[in-house]
Amino acid sequence: MKERILLVFKRTFELETVDESISQKNCDKWDSMNHLNLIVEFETEFEITIEPEEMGIMKDFKTIETIISRKL
Amino acid sequence: MQHFIYRNTTIEHLFGNDNVCYSGYDDILTIDIVADMFIWFYLLPIKSDRESIVAEIESYTKSIRFIYGNIPANKPFLIFTLQEFYGVTNRNDDFSVELAINAFNADIVAFAKQHKNVKIISISDFTRNYTNEQWIDWKYYFTSKIYINPHLAKPFKNWFAKQVDAILGIRKKCLILDLDNTLWGGILGEDGIEGIRIGGDYPGNAFSQFQQSLLELTNAGIILAVCSKNNEQDVLDAWQKNPFLILREEHFATYKINWDNKADNIKAIAQTLNIGLESIVFVDDNPTERELIKQVLPMVAVPEFPVQPYLLPMFFEQLQNDYFSVYSITEEDKTKTEQYKANAQRESMQHNFTNITDYLASLNINITIQKADDFNIPRIAQLTQKTNQFNLTTKRYTESNIHEFIHEGGLVFCINVKDIFGDNGIVGVIILKKIDEVSFEIDSLLLSCRVLGKGIEKAFVLYILNILKKQSVRRVSAQYFPTNKNVQVKDFYERIGFMLNNEKSESKSYTIILEDNDFIIEPYLKIEIK
Repeated sequence: MKERILLVFKRTFELETVDESISQKNCDKWDSMNHLNLIVEFETEFEITIEPEEMGIMKDFKTIETIISRKL
Repeated sequence: MQHFIYRNTTIEHLFGNDNVCYSGYDDILTIDIVADMFIWFYLLPIKSDRESIVAEIESYTKSIRFIYGNIPANKPFLIFTLQEFYGVTNRNDDFSVELAINAFNADIVAFAKQHKNVKIISISDFTRNYTNEQWIDWKYYFTSKIYINPHLAKPFKNWFAKQVDAILGIRKKCLILDLDNTLWGGILGEDGIEGIRIGGDYPGNAFSQFQQSLLELTNAGIILAVCSKNNEQDVLDAWQKNPFLILREEHFATYKINWDNKADNIKAIAQTLNIGLESIVFVDDNPTERELIKQVLPMVAVPEFPVQPYLLPMFFEQLQNDYFSVYSITEEDKTKTEQYKANAQRESMQHNFTNITDYLASLNINITIQKADDFNIPRIAQLTQKTNQFNLTTKRYTESNIHEFIHEGGLVFCINVKDIFGDNGIVGVIILKKIDEVSFEIDSLLLSCRVLGKGIEKAFVLYILNILKKQSVRRVSAQYFPTNKNVQVKDFYERIGFMLNNEKSESKSYTIILEDNDFIIEPYLKIEIK
């Protein structure tokens, strides 16, 4: 699951490498448009629906993992 | 290929940010001179006032002619048709929006017939694959102002790229076909000339129709060739003797029928025909052969082939759409008279907007400047967080940061913009830090892209400078910090009269002496402070 999340990051942000320390603060590519792309990719990858309240706080790896795992 | 897109809402997810520039929302004045292609992509606003939607649609045809008059005549101008995806009316006999859409679509089609660089892209060609529920995702609409479901962004991009290829006349030139189980059912070497399935009942009839379609392709200028593992003589005999075959030797520009590997054969065919490998499509029912070509000759297009012959019509449709579609234009000669008529008409249309000021005046723009207060500070902080393009310093602030500025004697203003199409809400922010009694520094200046291109940004700053001048402030300094997103404002301060003091790669700094300047705001903008 961690791997799948990281792969989504890599794909969406077109990064060479990515690890679990990634957050909106330390990643240049994580702007509002890419945030949206990221949410869309997670919804597709995990076949889940992410609610607006959750979108707003999914700004680092840990929170993303927590929210996605709750839905699986 | 640089695209410039005229739009009225958020569509970055559909067209991306690589080699694409966007107008402000409803902005028809910006002309990107470096663009190679101009695009009009408007979506109907979602609102319940049907009359105002109709008025808006009716304004589009004028706007399009206005844009057309300003862009270079040799560059393609792509116009998307309109479609309604969400409409609520309490009357079943209210067709006003539908009729307005139909009129708009008919108008642009007629317009394109008269101007050969204008091309129409039918949005329904894409949307017919989806239901209205798939098309709009209200969650994204309310959270991000995104109207078209971002889950459809990828298929949209692929579809759009193909439309552009067709318009630019980029299409494949040659279709190389396998024979056994591709152009007919069965294997010639085993089933014999009479035994292969072509014509008659299923599956022969499916292959017949496929061959007939391919024959049509040759009429559209596509070259057919054969690459098959067979005995050449067997095939030549079949072409001569089997009465049901539609495609015969004379329909193929060349053929390689032997037992060599197909990669070498395809290279030989390309050489014979003197075409590049990238203009070839290879069709073969055998997945191993397809994989070989994909590996060895990655520039050759290799579509999947259906296992069931009854799927051939769909396969052909896809083949046509993906590789061979072309945007045909009406021969100009046929419409000469119409052209002259239309040119005259366009002239008169343009009289509606003889100049930019008239156009802007017709928008009836009302700007209200507000001092930051408890009601608007959340929105101000949010704008500093979200705005990227028109943002001079890209500093991100929280609500409490904003309160601090005010507490320390700074000035924070926001603007609200209204026009004939509606109220845009709070769309811009300026934050000024107090340096001393007679000088201020612009810490942040930003505007949402939906209001750009109408002179509002300039009026906003000049109005603020006027206020300061009246309070006996002498000088105002400002800075520009470049980011990946804010190139469009790199000369903004120069444009509105600031003096450049210092330019480095990571910043530009400016000042303006207020008493030396008169700050005159364009009369078409109504601006007031609350």
